[in-house]
Amino acid sequence: MIDDPAPRNQGRFGNLLREALVVAVIGAMAAFLANQLSPRGLKLSRNYFPGGTAPLTAQPARAQNGTNSPLAARLQANGLRLAARARAEQLFQDPRRQHNLVLFVDARDEDDYQQGHIPGAYEFSPYHPEKYLAEVLPLCQFAEQIVVYCTGGDCEASETAALYLKDAGIPADKIWVYGGGITEWTNASFSVERGVRNSGEIQPPPG
Amino acid sequence: MNASPTSALAKVLGVATVLARWTLGAFFVYMGARKALAPVAFLELLREYDLVHNWFALNAIASALPWFEIFCGFLLLAGIAVRGTALLVAAMLAFFTCVVLRRALALETVLAVPFCAVKFDCGCGGGPEFICAKLRENALLLGLAFWLLVGRGRCVLYQWPRRPEPV
Repeated sequence: MIDDPAPRNQGRFGNLLREALVVAVIGAMAAFLANQLSPRGLKLSRNYFPGGTAPLTAQPARAQNGTNSPLAARLQANGLRLAARARAEQLFQDPRRQHNLVLFVDARDEDDYQQGHIPGAYEFSPYHPEKYLAEVLPLCQFAEQIVVYCTGGDCEASETAALYLKDAGIPADKIWVYGGGITEWTNASFSVERGVRNSGEIQPPPG
Repeated sequence: MNASPTSALAKVLGVATVLARWTLGAFFVYMGARKALAPVAFLELLREYDLVHNWFALNAIASALPWFEIFCGFLLLAGIAVRGTALLVAAMLAFFTCVVLRRALALETVLAVPFCAVKFDCGCGGGPEFICAKLRENALLLGLAFWLLVGRGRCVLYQWPRRPEPV
């Protein structure tokens, strides 16, 4: 008698699908649990993109400075202002900075901050605000001018951080977003500070 | 006594299968871990694909996907539920390849460069890569996943051929 292979193949395929389904369900549960337990895990209930989930590449290229860029328009729509390099430099040289009346806020993550930030800048990643808010928020309330920056180019952490500070009650008219970010700052040969804030590890401008 | 050509071939296939499973498993563990260590960066890259417009759904995918990849990688390394895992891995790779290709074609138009000169961070875990190299890599991994899927991935560790049963 010849055995018909069709039902046997169907059974094997069914087993394969069942196995994949079991792996998918257990894997998904394990994945969400691991994210919850991870100190770097995402908070599911937090909107990381208060400016909207539309991709940046769907928008025209982000200008490094200048007031006609899409970034400037987005900031303006939220009552914030874009700082060009000259403005950032002017605020950095402002003597009020020594008394925290002019505040620089670095919105990048901890590793990037440690590798080099604008001297005296405070660390404030908008994606982990709970780590920094207790220190940064009172300072921002006290400050007269706040300059928020990130890497520059396509990075949007500075915009997100600025919106976060605004939503936390900081008046929008004292918040500047430095669009060129640390990339433009270092390219312009300004000094940067390595390690923690006021570490004294100042990397002077070349030449 | 000489081994028959059939058993020699089976031995080679056995070694190749275990290596394929370990390679695929290790790759998924490594790439998943890189994303799990920088979940916000992965979230931002994921958003660039413009596939999900709800921030909660985007968070859910970005938080679970890296760990799910690690989970599948470990199953493959350990040889547990290999065919089911290989099916999931193949499905993920096929989907990733399609969306990466779609984005590369869009960038090719925007940047006005030859297709293979398109270089971007696809969020795959390996940083910025040239699209042609990425597609080759994905094709290889898909091949490995299919190899395991057709029933050659079951043995947990490579075993030497058993001694013939006494007659």
